Amino acid sequence: MTTPKTPALPTPVLEVSGLTKHFPLGGGFLQGSKHVVQAVSDVSFSVGKGETLAIVGESGCGKSTTGRALLRLLEPTSGSVKLDGEDISKLPPHRLQALRRNMQMVFQDPFGSLNPRMTVRETLLEPLLLHNIATGKRAHETVNKLLVRVGLAPHHADRYPHEFSGGQRQRICIARAISTRPRLIVCDEPVSALDVSVQAQIVNLMQDLQRDFGMAYVFISHDLSVVRHIADRVAVMYLGRIVEEAPAESLFADPRHPYTRALIQAAPRPVPGLRVASEPPSGEAPSALNLGPGCAFASRCPLATDLCRSTRPEIDAVDGGPTRIACHHADQRAPMVFPPAPTPTPALAARLAVMANARNSMT
Amino acid sequence: MSVTSTNVPPAPQISGSIEGDVSQEFTAPARAHWLRRLLRDRAAFLALLTLALVILGAIFAPVLATHDPASNSRSVMTPPAWMARGNAEHWLGTDGQGRDIFSRLLYGARLTLLIGFAAVGLGGFFGSLLGLLSAFNAKIDPWIMRTMDVLLSFPAILLALALVAVMGQGIVPIVIALGISSIPDCARVARGIAIGVMKQEFIEAGRAVGLSNLQLFNRYLVRNAISSIMIFISLRFGQTILIGATLSFLGLGARPPASELGMMASQGRDFLLFAPHIAVIPSVVIFIIVLSANVAGDALRDVLDPRLQA
Repeated sequence: MTTPKTPALPTPVLEVSGLTKHFPLGGGFLQGSKHVVQAVSDVSFSVGKGETLAIVGESGCGKSTTGRALLRLLEPTSGSVKLDGEDISKLPPHRLQALRRNMQMVFQDPFGSLNPRMTVRETLLEPLLLHNIATGKRAHETVNKLLVRVGLAPHHADRYPHEFSGGQRQRICIARAISTRPRLIVCDEPVSALDVSVQAQIVNLMQDLQRDFGMAYVFISHDLSVVRHIADRVAVMYLGRIVEEAPAESLFADPRHPYTRALIQAAPRPVPGLRVASEPPSGEAPSALNLGPGCAFASRCPLATDLCRSTRPEIDAVDGGPTRIACHHADQRAPMVFPPAPTPTPALAARLAVMANARNSMT
Repeated sequence: MSVTSTNVPPAPQISGSIEGDVSQEFTAPARAHWLRRLLRDRAAFLALLTLALVILGAIFAPVLATHDPASNSRSVMTPPAWMARGNAEHWLGTDGQGRDIFSRLLYGARLTLLIGFAAVGLGGFFGSLLGLLSAFNAKIDPWIMRTMDVLLSFPAILLALALVAVMGQGIVPIVIALGISSIPDCARVARGIAIGVMKQEFIEAGRAVGLSNLQLFNRYLVRNAISSIMIFISLRFGQTILIGATLSFLGLGARPPASELGMMASQGRDFLLFAPHIAVIPSVVIFIIVLSANVAGDALRDVLDPRLQA
């Protein structure tokens, strides 16, 4: 909402179609597995140059698996992933390794995603040397530049990861990701392990870098307020499938899928005294181990009918616009109502006035 | 940043300079050399000193020995010099055949340490390699580990007996038997440690950067697992020396008149009641070697882990 929305260019950086990842479950030595977890099923989307696509959903919905399957950190069961028009899902290992230059990842846990036995310099030199971006003295200079670019200083290079705070480590991870000037960075919950104040810094840094280098982000998150801030488009996942995909503004202003509506309604709003207006969806989410033939959300959906329970809705564009949605009854939705802020009690009003006063006197 | 400042920015902006935020803080003192850090730990220092003395003694046995370790003298079962009836000629006394115990200890430590190092080197190297590979590649994991289970069911003593039967008495079959019997233990421990490392996100991060399997294995897995594996191997060193001594005690190891600490203890068994020093002295030396190895192994782990550096 604050960032200018770049329209998706004709040749997308990333084009995903029918991406599916099923995990076989159980099965020991010399015996096959009996069950299959359908972590990601038939996911398709595309991301344009310099665009940010956010993938949101509750935990366990398959958004992280999607991110890893995109980069082939997990082998997809089926489907294709095209980076700049080149299908990476069938590349042999050495070609894939070379291509990793163009696609990088920032992980959720800044404490776990850096090799604790390597200094920051070693960590940042690694991709540079690996992909022949710089060698020798120039590589060391590049490391210094990278550190400065992400808000650290060259003298941090010879320290170990454990000597840094979470936010600083995430900066190092970002420096590692941008070191190869990739076309695409998959960010798996990059700020959810950080303090709120640090979150803002990291998100701003990522936006600055995107503006300067023009890479596309796939931003996986469960935090709607962060997503609203950074995303151009948002894809909502539920139990391994995308149920709605729309430009960020229209998704937050007019969410169409019942699940998206529930998600947005459940997100906390910073309004003092606000009571939750609507009931959260009741019922249990079905297990990804045995999904029925119908819509996965049917058991919790207020609009569900027999049709929903027997036939799965395919994702389709609505009104010829950029929004895609997988729901039989989306046109029956009631307008989204956000309850107005309640009239504060006198005590609260007085307190808010004092705080507003203090804020004004500071600026 | 001054606390009294009334200038609170409305939202953190990270474009320009945030140097003050991170660069001026903690100027960590230069990290001391790992050897110096190791020597700062008093227990580790003592243990290393003891080990060094034993190893030096073993190496320079021909120089330090006061007598020929294999030649008998007329004074049989002489107690050490500080006890009654002891004499300065044989300051640790003589054994049942009148051989100088001090000289035999020096030569015995030679053989004992050699067996220990060789066997642990063999078992530790192959065991850790198999364990690390097992953790790294889920496809070969069950095959390696089931093989280890089979290997684990051979007791070291049985293996040594079989090898001695085939190869004849000597330290080579003992080293091989001890080495092989160390492999499954080392493999299991290494695999356990390596699986813990493999679960961490930096492995995935390394893959995402574009590292090959070999680079990932060397730089990420081995580098993070090796210090924990080393401590296990150093503990295993003590154990191996003990089992080696046991085998010699049973008469499977070194061939007399060569001396080996376990064999010396075994030979002293017959005189335990009236000349206990013959068995006790080599046993004490074994104890000291094993204890020092364990303490030093522990200290080495602390020193090699950058997270434990204070």
